[in-house]
Amino acid sequence: MAETFKLPALKVEEYKLENGLRVVLDPDNAIPVVSVAVYYNVGSRNERDGRTGFAHLFEHMMFQGSENVPKAGHFQHIMKAGGTMNGTTSSERTNYYETLPANQLPLALWLESDRMRSLAVTQENLDNQREAVKEEKRLRYDNQPYGQIFDLIAEMIYKNFANAHSTIGSMEHLDAATVEDVQEFFRIYYAPNNAVIVLSGAFDIDEAKNLIETYFGEIPSQPLPPALDVSEPTEVAATYREWEDHLAPFPAFLIGWKIPPRRTSDFYALYLAGKILYDGDSSRLYQKLVKGEESVIQLFGFTDERRGPSSIFVGAIPKPDKDLSKIRETIMQEIHDLSAHGPTAEEMEKIENQLVNDAVRMRQSSMSRAQHIAEFALYDGDPTLINSELDDLLAITAEQIRHAVGVYLNTDNRALLDVVPAAKGVAV
Amino acid sequence: MTPEMRKAPPAPLAPVSFDIARPFETTLDNGLRVIVFENQRLPLVSYRLAFQSGDVHDPEGHTGMTSAMASMLSEGTRNYSSRQLAEKIERLGASVSASASDDFTVLAASALSLYGSEILQLMAEMALRPTFPESELDLYRRNMIEHLKFQRSQPGFLANEQAARLIFGSHPYSKVSPKADDIEKLDRQTLADFHASMLVPNNAMFIAVGDVNAEELVKELNEQFGDWQQGSAPVGKFAPPPERTARSLTIVDRPGSAQSNIVLTNLGVNRTHPDYFPLLVMNQVLGAGASSRVFMNLREEKGYTYGAYTRLESKKLAGDFEATAEVRTAVTGDSLKEFFYELDRIRTDTVGDQELADAKSFLTGVFPIRAETQEGLTNLIVNQYLYGLPEDYLQTYRAKVDAITLEDVKRVAIEHVRPSEMAIVIVGDAKEVLPQAQGYAETVEVFDTEGNKK
Repeated sequence: MAETFKLPALKVEEYKLENGLRVVLDPDNAIPVVSVAVYYNVGSRNERDGRTGFAHLFEHMMFQGSENVPKAGHFQHIMKAGGTMNGTTSSERTNYYETLPANQLPLALWLESDRMRSLAVTQENLDNQREAVKEEKRLRYDNQPYGQIFDLIAEMIYKNFANAHSTIGSMEHLDAATVEDVQEFFRIYYAPNNAVIVLSGAFDIDEAKNLIETYFGEIPSQPLPPALDVSEPTEVAATYREWEDHLAPFPAFLIGWKIPPRRTSDFYALYLAGKILYDGDSSRLYQKLVKGEESVIQLFGFTDERRGPSSIFVGAIPKPDKDLSKIRETIMQEIHDLSAHGPTAEEMEKIENQLVNDAVRMRQSSMSRAQHIAEFALYDGDPTLINSELDDLLAITAEQIRHAVGVYLNTDNRALLDVVPAAKGVAV
Repeated sequence: MTPEMRKAPPAPLAPVSFDIARPFETTLDNGLRVIVFENQRLPLVSYRLAFQSGDVHDPEGHTGMTSAMASMLSEGTRNYSSRQLAEKIERLGASVSASASDDFTVLAASALSLYGSEILQLMAEMALRPTFPESELDLYRRNMIEHLKFQRSQPGFLANEQAARLIFGSHPYSKVSPKADDIEKLDRQTLADFHASMLVPNNAMFIAVGDVNAEELVKELNEQFGDWQQGSAPVGKFAPPPERTARSLTIVDRPGSAQSNIVLTNLGVNRTHPDYFPLLVMNQVLGAGASSRVFMNLREEKGYTYGAYTRLESKKLAGDFEATAEVRTAVTGDSLKEFFYELDRIRTDTVGDQELADAKSFLTGVFPIRAETQEGLTNLIVNQYLYGLPEDYLQTYRAKVDAITLEDVKRVAIEHVRPSEMAIVIVGDAKEVLPQAQGYAETVEVFDTEGNKK
């Protein structure tokens, strides 16, 4: 099918302002909507020890006002213009984005440029957002069954502090953050030459270029942030941890492996291996464990894609009274089988169709296009990868998948986290 | 650009119009309504086979039957096993799933348009020829019973369960989940009979959006669904939701909770109620988004929570109004105080002109954003047809929002936001929560996480 199905290329144009701000334009007038994505090259991996969670707390501060936009004015301006917006923080980057009716492009650029050039920080706003972030942490992690397991296993897999600590951070470190920390972080990381701005959707190219120059052109560049070392020893060395979760109703486990960085052929191969193993009702592990053995309530898996060493996870919530070690043995047998025999022709056909389907679907919304393009621009320095990534994925062969599974997954070099419901655990 | 020019937000560019065309409509001889919305922008199709029957039509004493029937449609058919169906669908890179909500049962499919015919054939197989194999039903029962236990660990579920019970009483909307007994007594023959009576063409509509040709699709629909026999789907008789006269407090004790999940709720309106549009605007001012009053107060000013919102849930037969937040335990009482302050204020003080204009421009502005993806557009169209909204609903939506006045907002706030009769539900650590919250209600009851009264 790949031969007969060619996606029309997006007409992506990239250039740089004199202050170093990288700009990417992705025009498409199908719907009168425009999305703006601003990606800063700073994430939790840039945090120092003692300030975990800071990149994310800082993201909240970006909505607390700048020279010409009052506290919470960002939300209000966007919403009253009929737009949607948000910001998110990961290990790799912090992003800010909005989608608006096409004629409101100047508003988005005014808002994004005002906070890039003149963020206003007060003690009161910092204290307030610190509380909001702590409630976010309680809501998403501390007050949810199994809410903390992905942060815990990352600490087991990664040896380098930059990679190992969580993005949400610790309560103590959030408490320790000062107004000076916020100002310092802003100066170092929130400069135009450390960012990418992407416009996707309905706009006139010349008009957009003029507006971007008008709003962003005069923001001064800054010395580049300090270099970051995210290198890792390859070994995980079969770490094991038992975690007592007082909210969990059932035992569960999570297995994690350290794997090569995103966009390497090994990473792609393992991403596709994951699809074969745990994605969907026809996947091998679903058919083996949820159907066949009928031993698990829920099966899940995913890859954590990073610029440096990345990871892949498989986890399960077994049925009560099922032998966890036996379920893990089944998982390892399936992995072994994949490393010995590789994917079947049917599985390769499935992957191919799913990849094409995903790529077409991603192109529907201006915001999803802007976000994907921004990642390629920021991480790889090449936004046109949006047009070639599908081919890169389709080029991965069954043999490459077989080989990568053999090297990275069919091994004792894995982290294993056992979740024990605290009430049923051994004596505390 | 001078600093002076940065002071005020820039004026918008010239507006760009956005129109949604009317779809093609026809009806097959057996009564199946067909709605086709052609859109060749990308090589994708979305199909929905939707039935005007949902969980509310569960037979007496068989809560969960409709959802079970829907789930089992993919677990074996006359020509394919459960595994074969999964493999056939996923090998196309597509998805086909069936699920029931309170009012409707929907088979939803999406695929690359070059696989449109294959997907249609699989939808017909699932809708018309399911076999409800005994072994798959047995697995469904056992997995569902574990799932029922699992959801009791989630505070959001526990809050919804109590809120629905308090607002809807004997009406079936009060049941947000079956009990283990309901699941244990599901049997193959009853499900098959139930399927045969409910999934009939004159109770259904087929909606297609995307890269299709209406004429060819109708031909294919006749091939796949033309022999499908009419029937009479079960008609429900529903007890009215109870009248509430006083404010009540219901605590679900979850010892060791890191937060209190708060829900304040009263009975609202159904989806076709004439107050729907003024309520939409009122709710936008009060709590629908991050620039609304309760968010600005409880999060941005007080820092009690990550998010505080109000919500209108308007279903086919009835609806509710809710204010919700997850707050740290120590400020549970303070959060109730701020919530009631805002709920009273929207009723007593007229909303500002600018606030009203902002709420309306948000609602009209996001409309094209919601139609940007095929799934988004499909959902708008499916809702219009399932709820029986006017033919020009999507075309006149923005004009209807724009017509709402300050007086409309105040009137519907007084009528449909009723703090004096609200049910307060709090999932949290009862010994910490009770002293803070009991002063806000005339009656107090405490439940455990299993749903038993303490």
